[in-house]
Amino acid sequence: MAFVEINNLIKRYGSLTIFDGFDLTMSSTDRLVLIGPSGCGKSTLLRCMMGLEDIAGGTISLGGDPYITGAERGKMTLDKTVQKEVGMVFQHYTLFPHLSVLGNLCLAPMRSRGMGKSDAQDKAMELLKRFGLGDRAKFYPSQLSGGQKQRVAIARALMLDPKLMLFDEVTSALDPELVKEVEQTMMELAEAGMPMMIVTHDMHFARNIATQVVFQERGKVIEAAAPNDLFGNPKQDRTRDFLKNVLNIEG
Amino acid sequence: MNYDFSWFHVERAFPTLLEGLWVTLELTLWANIIGLVLGFIVAIGMMSKIKVITWPLTLYIEFFRCTPALIQLVWFFFCVPILFNVWWSAQFMGLLALGLNLAAFNSEAYRAAIQAIPESHTDASTALGLNGLQRIFFVILPQALLLAMPVLITNGIGIFQQSALVALISVEDLMYQGRYLSSQTFRPIETLTLVALMYFAVSFPVSLTVTYLERRTKRLLAT
Ligand SMILES: Nc1ncnc2c1ncn2[C@@H]1O[C@H](COP(=O)(O)OP(=O)(O)OP(=O)(O)O)[C@@H](O)[C@H]1O
Ligand SMILES: [Mg+2]
Repeated sequence: MAFVEINNLIKRYGSLTIFDGFDLTMSSTDRLVLIGPSGCGKSTLLRCMMGLEDIAGGTISLGGDPYITGAERGKMTLDKTVQKEVGMVFQHYTLFPHLSVLGNLCLAPMRSRGMGKSDAQDKAMELLKRFGLGDRAKFYPSQLSGGQKQRVAIARALMLDPKLMLFDEVTSALDPELVKEVEQTMMELAEAGMPMMIVTHDMHFARNIATQVVFQERGKVIEAAAPNDLFGNPKQDRTRDFLKNVLNIEG
Repeated sequence: MNYDFSWFHVERAFPTLLEGLWVTLELTLWANIIGLVLGFIVAIGMMSKIKVITWPLTLYIEFFRCTPALIQLVWFFFCVPILFNVWWSAQFMGLLALGLNLAAFNSEAYRAAIQAIPESHTDASTALGLNGLQRIFFVILPQALLLAMPVLITNGIGIFQQSALVALISVEDLMYQGRYLSSQTFRPIETLTLVALMYFAVSFPVSLTVTYLERRTKRLLAT
């Protein structure tokens, strides 16, 4: 059984159907990058996996454990213990402004895991130092640059030792010169062997970090392949068109 | 004007007025505790999608916002004992009316503050494994308190001033003592001026603090 397995996922927003029987698998050594046109459901997919969305059908499994099982009329079942093994970083800054960097990192481990304060702080400092943010521990989010905020958000998610990390366009809201530091942090995490699913519009970064690239359109996987194959030699016309378009825009 | 201002009467009134001020401060403190806690609970309740919850709360808020505080106070003092057969002290009835009044106004301040918190914080909290109650306590409440702080303090100090109304139901607060002394000694100018100054001496520093806090939270919560 695959590490991540999505079977027959059905997701609707009211009468709008985003996924109607969507399947996807990923192994624990994979870093899967999702690409596709705007509105094709990339964010929705990650949100479903995080347990943030009600799904109308299908199952989502982690490590062979189906932790989300969809059902009509909001009767979805969600195993919260497995949900806690998934971490997510969002496009928009979601650091809590009333807490310092250290406070942001320690909140969840202390409150939802019952970790002691000094243990949590030690762990937080270790992570911050690893990401070159050790001197920012006492700062408040409003005193950080966008790139620093996103790196703190990544560290915050890592405090809970996730088995899988989800990244939804974490560099899209950043000024161009700040993108690199966040991408480097993600690369470092990749090298440390963290399984991740990444949504990005940055094709160069996708090519660098991915072991698998999935091109998705209108709630369907059109093509999934290793980055060199998908970018270098796409099999499907639609993949080719999409890539031609985005690479043109990027110049 | 030929009034012979008497420092003697000021001095003589002072201890009694201080006692009255103490009662006023006590009332204000407790009313604010009710207002801060109950106001938040009401604000959270108002966010519910269940009409059975929001409907009575709306009625409660609007009742207290759309009637004079004086009638609320008098109504509690005269009507509640008859309607519910409870016979509590005038001070307690006064406190109840003031506390419920403040909670109604504070709940609106909280509600505006909660609406200003980005919705993405809810998703982030879930992604961090916080449950609903933990999210309310550690993510929503502290931010709502910070954002609403200036209004909460302004409302709180408003209640300090409004509390003068309890003198009408014979609670021996600052206002009551002031009126009592001024009519007893025929020295309204000395006594009532001192009363006004006492109210001012408490309110003014608080009012200055609000301006300061407003600037500070704006900086902290800037994104
Ligand atoms: N809360 C919502 N209610 C209704 N429709 C929604 C909601 N969220 C997303 N949608 C719709 O679902 C579809 C998929 O949205 P989603 O955000 O997953 O796309 P995406 O692939 O992430 O796009 P982008 O690249 O622009 O981020 C879109 O048509 C969007 O309008
Ligand atoms: Mg998206």
